[in-house]
Amino acid sequence: MPADPLPPPSSPRGPVPPRADPAAPSSPGRPGDARPSPPEQAGRTRSGQPATFLEAIAEALWEEMERDERVFLMGEDIGAYGGAFKVTRGFLDRFGPLRVVDTPIAEGGFTGAAAGAAHMGLRPVVEMQFMDFVSPAYDVLTNYVATSLYRGAGPLPLVVRGPVGGGARAGPFHSQNVEMAFFHTPGLKIVYPSTPRDAKGLLKSAVRDDNPVIFEEHKGLYRAPQFRELLPAEDYAIPLGKARVALEGEDLTIVTYGLMVHRCLEAAAALARDRIRAEVIDLRTLLPLDEDAIAASVEKTSKLLIVHEDTRTGGIAGEIAIRMNERAFEWLDGPILRVTAIDSPVPFAASLEDYFLPSAADVVTAGRYLFNY
Amino acid sequence: MRPLPAASWPSAADDAPPPRLAEDMLYCGLQGRALEASVRDLVEAGELPKRFAGFRVDARGVAVACAMRPPPAGGDICCPGPLSPGPALAFGATPLEFLRHAAGKGTAPASARAGSSGWSDLHADGDPDAFPRRTAGFGCWTDLRLGLLGCDGPPGSMTQVAAGAAFAFRRRGEASAALVFEERAALETGRWHEAMSFAAALRAPLIVVVAPVQGAPESALDLAAAGANYGLEVISLAGEPLARMHERAAEVRRRVVDGGGPALLDLGPSGAADWPGRDGDAWRRAERAAAAAVQSAVDRLAKEPRAPTAAALAPVLSGVPVRPHWTRSDPPSPSAGGPSPELPSAAPEPVGQARPRMQPAARPSPSSPSAAPHAG
Repeated sequence: MPADPLPPPSSPRGPVPPRADPAAPSSPGRPGDARPSPPEQAGRTRSGQPATFLEAIAEALWEEMERDERVFLMGEDIGAYGGAFKVTRGFLDRFGPLRVVDTPIAEGGFTGAAAGAAHMGLRPVVEMQFMDFVSPAYDVLTNYVATSLYRGAGPLPLVVRGPVGGGARAGPFHSQNVEMAFFHTPGLKIVYPSTPRDAKGLLKSAVRDDNPVIFEEHKGLYRAPQFRELLPAEDYAIPLGKARVALEGEDLTIVTYGLMVHRCLEAAAALARDRIRAEVIDLRTLLPLDEDAIAASVEKTSKLLIVHEDTRTGGIAGEIAIRMNERAFEWLDGPILRVTAIDSPVPFAASLEDYFLPSAADVVTAGRYLFNY
Repeated sequence: MRPLPAASWPSAADDAPPPRLAEDMLYCGLQGRALEASVRDLVEAGELPKRFAGFRVDARGVAVACAMRPPPAGGDICCPGPLSPGPALAFGATPLEFLRHAAGKGTAPASARAGSSGWSDLHADGDPDAFPRRTAGFGCWTDLRLGLLGCDGPPGSMTQVAAGAAFAFRRRGEASAALVFEERAALETGRWHEAMSFAAALRAPLIVVVAPVQGAPESALDLAAAGANYGLEVISLAGEPLARMHERAAEVRRRVVDGGGPALLDLGPSGAADWPGRDGDAWRRAERAAAAAVQSAVDRLAKEPRAPTAAALAPVLSGVPVRPHWTRSDPPSPSAGGPSPELPSAAPEPVGQARPRMQPAARPSPSSPSAAPHAG
């Protein structure tokens, strides 16, 4: 069978400059925009509407694929079906089966194949239907992909993205947070955004980054209407490795990421009623960790509370605590505390899962204790 | 250098490849043969680890790889895997690069940060204590300029990577192919089948060469049946003369590049083919040139430095500076996450206002944080 009609050959390997779609104008969302219309979930900003977290992800993918023909998507049911969460609905029609690749259900196999394609100059974005399923790809990601630059095989631009997190009553196999499975592996970056604006800007940076990036998207943020945001009309990217101050305060530093940012903001509002002014740091990128941002806040507040939805033992709180112990011990006026999920698989029953997950009330309790220490 | 077997090359005039090609193949193959002898000498001299004592180059890997079109003339890539370094030599790697790599020299590809998992064999003339006892070896050495992707993972893993590279060729419409050598044990892995399924579904220009490399049976699975799962006919090269192996590999390459989908080649039992000897000018020229290249590499190897420890601090992320832990080489400095290797060591400097530890006026009950199930 002959191969499908394809674009003319480009450089056999090595850096290939991005080629913009000739139909694409330089500025999106302007009158007279001649580009093919994105599907609804990837076109909120173009139509001047606020976007959900999921729509921001879809916009980032669509725009990066329009911008750079090296970018392509791989994953289970992302083409004809549009993805388990419909992030890529309509992408197949626009970009075709060689840029929106429906794969067999074999996460290790297609992640390894993505690595090979990245070696050849493409920029694959791999979707895990649920990030829980990344474990079959753990071998190739940690042994092959993460070591590529160090071994002399050059940078390996590859994004592995997908939904994480609990609260959806989805049980142990569709609710995990996987960051710490990869946090210990030199050679990877890990991104975990908390807002639509960050999700879009960070995903664009991840796609443009020359390093492999694990990109976690909390399901609880995907369609939550309260987090809708009007996103910048212009092309923007948010640098990886830079945290943001989600809320300024002087009495207590709360370091967190993902959905827990919103839990912590809720808790900070409650603490404010007690005249405790908490500063909330949204890490955005877990690896590389923005240690400077944490230290700067600790210098100001002298109290540190770390909150994550991931389970406690071996969680990122332990790493942050020891880094601040090494670097900011003299500034601390109390123990470093953490609020995390319980060391357990994610339960299915609502009552069990609610108990398992950290809540705003837990953060308030720990915050009060630290403030009064 | 030990004497070459007396078998003819090629065995019959009808099988003779074009003279230039025959010379190239012989040169690569005889480099491998010369390397075998030199490696043995270097092991005896203590310059290479003992596990290289049984190092051997499988001529069949060279014959198949010579049928490809590596850079710069072509765009093919090769994962030599268990047959390394023969196919790597065919793709333009030099004996010196191989020896640097094996010796852990700082001048090796990637400054010796990645290495082999062993080059040894089961042959009677191999070191009986060598481990792992394989007919050939693994080379984690990668050089994309040459189109080489080193093996880095268990059986089947490089078929995944090669399948992705082949997909990239197809997507861009390039007339290139990805060649990967796998040990037969790959048939037992999900990785390999996942990769074959992916490559077959996308009709990627992938050539998988399967060879048994262990002493014990590696798989009871039938390769032909495995190939049939993906609609692939298995092409057996077992027992073929090297020239014929090369010719058939070239045919296969043409077919996969033309959109025929992946191909499976079976090399057959280990050691079934070897570099035959031949009286003739071409053969003698190739032998002299190969021996000189290897001897030059051995001479140069002795003068080259071991890998410096600083190389261990090589970046693992592009664009992110290396920051070694202060506990390794420098005292802690609160002003920075750690000393930069570019900066001289400095005594710790007090940063900011060191505050006295404050005693809380009214310390809350110790039970307070644990009242919340997640805090503490």
